[in-house]
Amino acid sequence: MTKNRSYLRVLAIWLILALIAAACGDGDDATDDTGGDAGTDQATTTAEADDPGDDEPTDGEPIVVGGSLALTGFLAPTAAIHKVAGDMFVEQLNANGGLLGREVVWDVRDDESVPDQAAAIYERLITEENVDLVLGPYGTGTITAAMAVAEREGYVFPHHTASLTYAYTYECHFPTWPVGLDTNISNPNIVYDAIEASGNPPQTIGFVLNEFPGTQLIGYGPPNSDAGGAISEARKRGWEVVLEVSFPTATSDWGPIAAQVAEADPDFLYVGALGVDGPNLLTALDAIGYVPRGHFYQWPAPGPLLGAPNANGAMSVTVFESHPPYTDDPEAAAIVEEFAEKAAAADIPYTKFDVQAAVSWTAWQVLVAGVEGAGSLDQRAICDWLKDNPVDTIIGTIDFNPDEQNYYGDLSVIKQIQDGEWVVVYPPDKALPGAEPEL
Amino acid sequence: MTQRRALVGFAVVFALLLAVPHLADRLDFPGFYLTFMFSAFFWIAQSSSWNMLTGYSGYFSFGQGAWFGVGVYTTAVLAGKQGWAFLAALPLAGIAALIVGLLLGLVVFRLRSLSGEIFALTTLAVAFVLGSVARIFPAIDGGRGAFMTSVPLPEFLGEFRPAMYRMTLVIMMATVLTAYLVYESRLGWGLFSIRDDEQVAQGLGVPVFRYKMAALAGNAFFSGLMGGVWALQIGFVTVEDVFNIRVPLFVILMSVLGGTSHWMGPVVGSVIIFTILDRFNSAGFEDFNQLFIGGLLIVLVLAVREGVYVRLRNRPLATLLVFAGTMLVLLVVNDSSIVWKFLWATLATLAMALVPDRLWTSLFGRNRRTDEADAEPEKVTA
Amino acid sequence: MDANLLIQATVSGALIGGLYALMSLGLSLSWGALDIINLVHFMFILFGAYFTYQLTVSTGMDPLATALLVVPAGFLIGGALQIFFEAAKLDEFKSLIITFGLFIILQSLARTIWSADFRTLDQSLNPYASASVIVGDVAFQTPLVIAFAAAGLIAIGTRALMAHTYFGKAVRAVVHDADTARAFGVDSQRVGVLLAALASAYSALAGVLIATFQSLSPTMGVGWFGIVFPVVILGGLGNAVGNFLAGVVIGVAAGIATVVWGPLSATLVTFSIMVLALLFRPQGLFTRRATI
Repeated sequence: MTKNRSYLRVLAIWLILALIAAACGDGDDATDDTGGDAGTDQATTTAEADDPGDDEPTDGEPIVVGGSLALTGFLAPTAAIHKVAGDMFVEQLNANGGLLGREVVWDVRDDESVPDQAAAIYERLITEENVDLVLGPYGTGTITAAMAVAEREGYVFPHHTASLTYAYTYECHFPTWPVGLDTNISNPNIVYDAIEASGNPPQTIGFVLNEFPGTQLIGYGPPNSDAGGAISEARKRGWEVVLEVSFPTATSDWGPIAAQVAEADPDFLYVGALGVDGPNLLTALDAIGYVPRGHFYQWPAPGPLLGAPNANGAMSVTVFESHPPYTDDPEAAAIVEEFAEKAAAADIPYTKFDVQAAVSWTAWQVLVAGVEGAGSLDQRAICDWLKDNPVDTIIGTIDFNPDEQNYYGDLSVIKQIQDGEWVVVYPPDKALPGAEPEL
Repeated sequence: MTQRRALVGFAVVFALLLAVPHLADRLDFPGFYLTFMFSAFFWIAQSSSWNMLTGYSGYFSFGQGAWFGVGVYTTAVLAGKQGWAFLAALPLAGIAALIVGLLLGLVVFRLRSLSGEIFALTTLAVAFVLGSVARIFPAIDGGRGAFMTSVPLPEFLGEFRPAMYRMTLVIMMATVLTAYLVYESRLGWGLFSIRDDEQVAQGLGVPVFRYKMAALAGNAFFSGLMGGVWALQIGFVTVEDVFNIRVPLFVILMSVLGGTSHWMGPVVGSVIIFTILDRFNSAGFEDFNQLFIGGLLIVLVLAVREGVYVRLRNRPLATLLVFAGTMLVLLVVNDSSIVWKFLWATLATLAMALVPDRLWTSLFGRNRRTDEADAEPEKVTA
Repeated sequence: MDANLLIQATVSGALIGGLYALMSLGLSLSWGALDIINLVHFMFILFGAYFTYQLTVSTGMDPLATALLVVPAGFLIGGALQIFFEAAKLDEFKSLIITFGLFIILQSLARTIWSADFRTLDQSLNPYASASVIVGDVAFQTPLVIAFAAAGLIAIGTRALMAHTYFGKAVRAVVHDADTARAFGVDSQRVGVLLAALASAYSALAGVLIATFQSLSPTMGVGWFGIVFPVVILGGLGNAVGNFLAGVVIGVAAGIATVVWGPLSATLVTFSIMVLALLFRPQGLFTRRATI
């Protein structure tokens, strides 16, 4: 019975070889890497630590911005929009002279919509590949996992689509999903104000919420807190809540939910919807001959909802739509036009530059403003600059407020499907001229 | 005798691996290498624990997602939500998974007409059931998820990465050691005889029920324990991210690829697949990596039916030469990172393993497999 | 609780259960009769749906008429795949891994062709999505009515095929004992290829129907695991009629659970049914004996 020994020996030799190789390999790396001393600092990382990012800029060497997106997996449909927006931003940035006079490369990896993958990718990008800057992924779970890595490594972390505002305490995270720290109060109230502005406020309201942490936050407020959310805010306005249903993210049979909606028959239907939840519910409602009188969808995929039955009058929140006043600025108009071409070239069916693309664009603008403001790639300096200075972006001027975990109030506006198009209807100064909320 | 030598071997490997984080500081080791290694440890422990049940006893389990998920949610609830000290919550992750596993075993292994398929599907369903339970009860999740990002770790474990490394290392070594000890023990012999023919095993006096329960318990315990640590890497735990088919599927792929008939098979399979996945992701081949991974699985399963490990064991000298040779050549000629070198060496070794036995014999003469002492027909899947 | 609500939930559950049954039948036949846990069936459904989408958009065909092209394509491809499986001589677990490899490849291919974003048939091209039949106070969604009817007819047809034709007897003989069947002159390979082709055609048809009322994305396939497996188990592997009834039972149970205890309980209820069925009727709820 010599067999045990032999494989253990093989195993041991493999490991020893790997270790020796590791030692030698890193000797090599250290000599040709000017950031070699950064590694030791990382072992004792604090936010102040030197990062590989503050290498002396060498002309001709591009600045690498690392990040991941859900190029595959269940988040992929929307992440595809962020890919197009990011690619286009970087292309324009380089066409206009790059950043600090250097070319910018966006090194984007596929996190497969999985948080631990995202965490591993950001660790790899930051500590193995020594990228200069990072930008957040798409989606709440992956952003949360990646943010923890950025925090440990002291990297500035702009991100565009994390929904759990209360939970992000890292001092150098810069959210561009502009919904405010207390979004569970502010966001539904913007919706309700728009409803009341229609002159036809509801007596009864029904809630159908995706059981996704972000939509639950808006519906009920943060866990272990009595702040409340959309439901308690509706009651405060004296509306009767006649339906309160949560459905799992992977719902395939919408018939019974539709039947419940029809039975409760609320004046206004508030759907905490993601992706294609909205069209699925509308199709099922239509099949039983029910047409909602007023209806709202939290974060729908815009294209499929436009094509859904009885979608006219559907409301949602946004921060940018491809029409005036947003496109009054010729620069914004040019972006909208070019984005439509790029999205069509990437085979994305809905090619309008709207909320998803706009927050992606904003995240890039924040990153660029931070670097230019700091005048270097020093993470600490970028973070401090962004906390102290307002940034002009495509969604307006934003001023990160460290007292509110870097949130800056709720900039959401209300859009509605009118005559087969999404148009902003509320508040009046942001609405398409002449458009009003209709109920 | 042999056992004692093997245990010394385990101790040496453990000591060497334990030294890595210290070495890493000394050598400007990029932090990611530790992440790479502890992620590999995660998969090694998951697949080795799966193999204790499925590889040894032949009962095909999809339950890895359930045990893993129970472990994740145990620490997520206790440490993440209730504020327990992490190391106090961690053992309970393994124990909770063990209890769920034993409850399931008590029911299914008592069934008169239990077939392999029924077992497989029941274990698949358990993960879905547990997922919907977590979804319904706010105390567990209730659709709100659980944050693990601000859970403090005890200081003696070091910073986050070395701490993750040390915890996963200990669990991984314990899992592989257990897999080895079971393999060498009367329990292992009994399980293999159950796999070959349960009725015959019973006739031989093997306490089949107790043995199967023991294998299931080992599987669930180590998987849950590792899940408990992994909650930290996930950061924000949700039902969709935990109770899905990713873990069971990868564990099956890794083990079958490495070979389920030996305790080392899942270790080798995990290292190979994890390295390839990691480097492909790193290279940013997102358009092709899924195509390639799918293709690789098909080729490997068709070409190396008994698992890569058996091939490597039968060709020990070639394995050592190819692996170490590639590694040395790359060290001299190429300054890419060590993980890349490891990938190329792994792929070269894999290519060597792909050479069919018949061709190999005609090229290099006798295979070790034909040696009488090593034949072990009862432990090699046809 | 309003009785009408319960009735509506039962009806819509039963109808979607018909679709579940159609989606599951291919896998059930492949697993039960050919011993291949063929995950590629999920891709037959997905590609069936995307082909319908593409044909309708490109040529303006009626979405249901695309079945005339899509279903035969599924038949041929499924048969060809079975020839490969036969040549590779796979056991169940190896088949799981190989077909999982194919699953990943095809899913990635779908993403390359149609992008990761949602694809929806426009209402102008697709008259079915919101069409329904209303009887009294109860509405029947047209695509689901078609799926239900198709699934029912196919189940009965397949059962008749198995019971009364030479092909069916050959299949049963091969399932029972392949070696003996071969000894008696049954060409087991040809039988297997034909059966696999038929099973794949069923899956492709399910895809056609899905495209008429849902938005498509390449990752849908994984989401179907949780529906198809319980139906396959509950119905009994390879049992066409049992499979249909199982789809309906699961659809109705989930529908009623949704309106009584809320949508979150639906998965718990369906999987609990599956577990109980596995434990007490491991041969499937609707089988007298564990054969086809």
